Amino acid sequence: MAEYKLLTKDFGADGLQTLKGYEKVGGYQALRDAFKKFTPETLVAEVKTSNIRGRGGAGFPTGMKWSFLPKDVFPRYLCCNADESEPGCFKDRYLIDESPHQLIEGLLIASYALQVNTSFIYIRGEYHDQRLLLERATEEARAAGYIGKNILGSGFDCDVIVHGGAGAYICGEETALIESLEGLRGQPRLKPPFPAIKGLYGQPTVVNNVETLCNLPHIVQRGGEWFKALGTDKSAGTRVFCCSGHINRPGNYEMKLGTPIRELLEEECGGIWRGQSLKAFQPGGGSMQVLLPQHLDLPLDMNAVQEAGSSLGAGAMIFMDETTCLVDVSMRLVDFYRHESCGKCVPCREGTYFESELMHRLEAGQATLAELASLADICSNMDGRCFCPLGDTATWFVMSAYKSFRDEFEAHCGAGRCPVRAQATALVA
Amino acid sequence: MTAVAETGTPPEQPDDGRVGISIDGRELRVPKGTLVLDAATEAGIHIPIYCAHPKMDPVAVCRMCLVNIEKFPKPQPACATVAGDGMVVRTNIPEVTKIREGMLEFLLLNHPLDCPVCDRGGECDLQDFTFRYGPGISRFPITEKVHFKKAVPLSEHIELDQERCILCWRCVRYYDEITGEKEIVLQQRGVDTLVSTFDDRQLQSKFQGNLPEVCPVGALTHRKYRFVSRPWDLQRTASVCPECSYGCNINADSRDFEVRRFASRDNPLVDDMWLCDRGRYSFDRWNTSERVRRPVVRSDDESRDVTVAEAITQAARRLREIAEEYGAASIGVLGSSASTNEELFLLERLARQVIGTPHVDHQLEPFDGISAAEHELGIAEIEECDTLIVLGADPEEQAPVLTLRLYKAERKKGARVIRLSSDATAADAAIAASGATRIGLIADETNRAHAAAVATALGAVGSVRRLTITRGINGRGAKDLGLLPNVGPAYAALAEPGKNGRQILEGLASGTMRGLLMLGPNPALEAESELLERAVRKAACVVAFDTRPGIVSRYATVLIPGHAVFEKAGSVTNVEGRVQRIRAGLPPASATPVETRVLTTLAGLMGAVGWGSGDPLAVNRLLRDESPAYGRAGNGGRALFTAEAVA
Ligand SMILES: Cc1cc2nc3c(=O)[nH]c(=O)nc-3n(C[C@H](O)[C@H](O)[C@H](O)COP(=O)(O)O)c2cc1C
Ligand code: SF4
Ligand code: SF4
Ligand code: SF4
Ligand code: FES
Repeated sequence: MAEYKLLTKDFGADGLQTLKGYEKVGGYQALRDAFKKFTPETLVAEVKTSNIRGRGGAGFPTGMKWSFLPKDVFPRYLCCNADESEPGCFKDRYLIDESPHQLIEGLLIASYALQVNTSFIYIRGEYHDQRLLLERATEEARAAGYIGKNILGSGFDCDVIVHGGAGAYICGEETALIESLEGLRGQPRLKPPFPAIKGLYGQPTVVNNVETLCNLPHIVQRGGEWFKALGTDKSAGTRVFCCSGHINRPGNYEMKLGTPIRELLEEECGGIWRGQSLKAFQPGGGSMQVLLPQHLDLPLDMNAVQEAGSSLGAGAMIFMDETTCLVDVSMRLVDFYRHESCGKCVPCREGTYFESELMHRLEAGQATLAELASLADICSNMDGRCFCPLGDTATWFVMSAYKSFRDEFEAHCGAGRCPVRAQATALVA
Repeated sequence: MTAVAETGTPPEQPDDGRVGISIDGRELRVPKGTLVLDAATEAGIHIPIYCAHPKMDPVAVCRMCLVNIEKFPKPQPACATVAGDGMVVRTNIPEVTKIREGMLEFLLLNHPLDCPVCDRGGECDLQDFTFRYGPGISRFPITEKVHFKKAVPLSEHIELDQERCILCWRCVRYYDEITGEKEIVLQQRGVDTLVSTFDDRQLQSKFQGNLPEVCPVGALTHRKYRFVSRPWDLQRTASVCPECSYGCNINADSRDFEVRRFASRDNPLVDDMWLCDRGRYSFDRWNTSERVRRPVVRSDDESRDVTVAEAITQAARRLREIAEEYGAASIGVLGSSASTNEELFLLERLARQVIGTPHVDHQLEPFDGISAAEHELGIAEIEECDTLIVLGADPEEQAPVLTLRLYKAERKKGARVIRLSSDATAADAAIAASGATRIGLIADETNRAHAAAVATALGAVGSVRRLTITRGINGRGAKDLGLLPNVGPAYAALAEPGKNGRQILEGLASGTMRGLLMLGPNPALEAESELLERAVRKAACVVAFDTRPGIVSRYATVLIPGHAVFEKAGSVTNVEGRVQRIRAGLPPASATPVETRVLTTLAGLMGAVGWGSGDPLAVNRLLRDESPAYGRAGNGGRALFTAEAVA
């Protein structure tokens, strides 16, 4: 089997969602070790050694992010980003569903390293059950003395607050998350100042993804050096990939970084369904550029995928079979961005609307070639001009698909209907 | 070429707190912390903006100001990027041209293009930048735009057109940052985003009228200006708001000889570009057709319309007769807080030097113990105080824009603003101010005696400077120029104080005084109409200037039509002593020469020599020669009388 189970090793164990079950598999030992073996400073150093990069999408080195906090400015805050709203992403939900205490333990380890006395888990509004699960788990952990004053006699205090969002993709962007947590409209903040300097309530703040934090107990227990050796040079450790689309076994698979994408598709996902062949796939989630069958041999490595013109992003893999219309997929993704644009800046607010109106005309075979050309130009007027990455990335998939499947896009112009779907229907019939 | 080119090494720059930046090849040095946008303005390079506002923090949402900066991976917002040393900025390259065309194309996608019926047409940043930087064509194939509500009344003053809104956030930030009232919010998201009030509540602010001015387009408009005019049909007159003593600078915009609106005219030292609604929407008061239009001379049994010359001659003769028969001290002279400095300057001289009466005032209340120190604190200096004590609600009711300065001191400088009741004891004030070092004490002029006691107690806590909110557009000038019974010009002590305004009127009513020379309109007197009527009916001689028909015009023995504030030139002095010009923007309601000319002629007939032409500008020169404080203040400076301020 190609899977490498680190975070997911004990998933499925009896009662893992409860404190008892989690302790039975050695849960919260890492927290004890952290207090015993590390000072906050050496713990930050250990995380730096591990080379772990953030799992939230941007892949920023976690240890380095932590070291940006100004010395001696307190209070500081830590926010766990559980907003997971990227199309195609469902790994954070899985990690919470299967083992909520693993996340809480990771959060507490990070809080200790960063000397944070109040940590937040900001969870997506639609993850209602997961929020309840986390609330129950924090109650249990508090009752057992893992959360609260003088945790395990270490002298370290930390409270954990679970906060539900109201269901906006943009609230996963760290500064919008902070605004929302403060009770304001969920929209990104102007940077600088960066959250590390002035974040939640104007204080130094770190935002980390669920999966990033779930790695910490393992880094503490096995050591930074061990973790660093796992995976590749630039991409240490494992990642949980959310696989979906036209595959036989959709689901979450934890893979050692560096494993070829083909192994993930063929061994874990059971290959493309219905005996059909792969037309294209999108790694990283809805924001990322399309890749082609020839990219299947790329390793699951952040840099390698980036060099191929896309990104591992938030760890999603959407596979599309030969019947897929890339114009249709682009249209649906663009609709998502139109719906999720927070409306703060002009190019994203108006641009996603413009894009989506054009894509609907194109997919229906009503657009002209001139309109198609203007689509590309509109995207160029958005990309790199928006206030935050949401608007920029709203152009990435459609532009990459247009580049790789230009004929298909052009065939839609003036066709009066979607030519790909027409063909697919003909095939089935 | 400079030494740089010759030697290849840049010359040593001393650390003068400045950075060197190049914009479109123009090199300039600007203070550290300057925004690229402001540096460009200084270099004379225009960068179009929608969301940026000179009085608000940057938000960088409209992306209209994006510029190319070397070494940056993507275009940067000039409005939110701080100029760095050695920064090379370009705005005149195709990349930036394309950005601007792109943003304007986006903005116009869902814009209703109401220009022909939009109040902002002709002074709209969306129109203007579209002309200057826009793409020229529309590529959007969809004819149906996203629609929103139009002409939503947000209050009696303000109307919102949600379709015209370009979501620049200025109105929201205005309420967050300038007034702190948070009355306008953003709702929905993406292309459905709109501004509105929470729960459709009506606006409550006293400062709503600034909204249409911060709005770069025709989304927020004045209901009083709806469909009234195009900007090019307006005649703009730079003046001062006549509604209170704070002295906010305005443009009085008139059309067809009527004032159609007051627009703010940024004076960072006074109004900081904001007006209050009481002031802003008072403009139509000046359009009344009920005016005194002809000079009138009355005796016991007749009332005649006369020429100005005859009126002045009669005035001189009658005042002289009274003085000869009953003594000069039987004549009272009343100026007004609505008069100009030039008028008041002449009136004071006429009273004390030509007529020779000590009974001079400009209002009714006694003004004992007035000192120059009570209006020493300047408006902008409020921001230098760490603690501000406001006694009672009066100061902010009298001069509402003061509230915005207090909020600015609070928000930007972290000052403490402490509002006490008007009769809070000195001890209470000292306790409230504990820990303060630089205290500003603000009180209304009706509370000035108590404020003096409070100031003494505060002196034990920290240094104290006082601001007294005088009443009337030129209440401060009237005091500076000696229109008070107990002090002369420049607060000079008098050996024998005269009667105050109330005593003069009572004296006239009871017959102990015989004559009155008054410069109207005088709102303070008009408020005491019963006493005023008894006084002017009983007096043997009332020489009065007035603008509107009323008690005074009905009974004056010599009535001379006056000029309303927008019909004459001159200067007025605000609460902090700032001397500011007003200018004639409307034609006068009568053919009578301006007050300064009439007063000069009158003085001449009564024996004065060397008063010159009486032209307001000439009088202003005389005034500046005579009063060192006004000489130093010039036009726009502060007239200060305390020894420290003078030194
Ligand atoms: C539009 C947008 C949505 C995002 N959504 C998420 C999200 O749901 N979860 C997440 O962890 N990071 C999300 N991010 C990235 C965060 O801004 C941030 O980089 C991340 O939480 C940092 O965590 P990490 O360093 O552990 O990866 C999003 C970013 C953008 C621009
Ligand atoms: S790009 Fe602009 S409109 Fe889009 S989500 Fe970011 S801030 Fe909001
Ligand atoms: S806001 Fe400006 S562009 Fe829009 S309708 Fe009014 S004048 Fe025209
Ligand atoms: S109403 Fe005017 S000021 Fe307010 S956001 Fe819209 S355009 Fe800007
Ligand atoms: S003016 Fe700079 S982004 Fe709006």
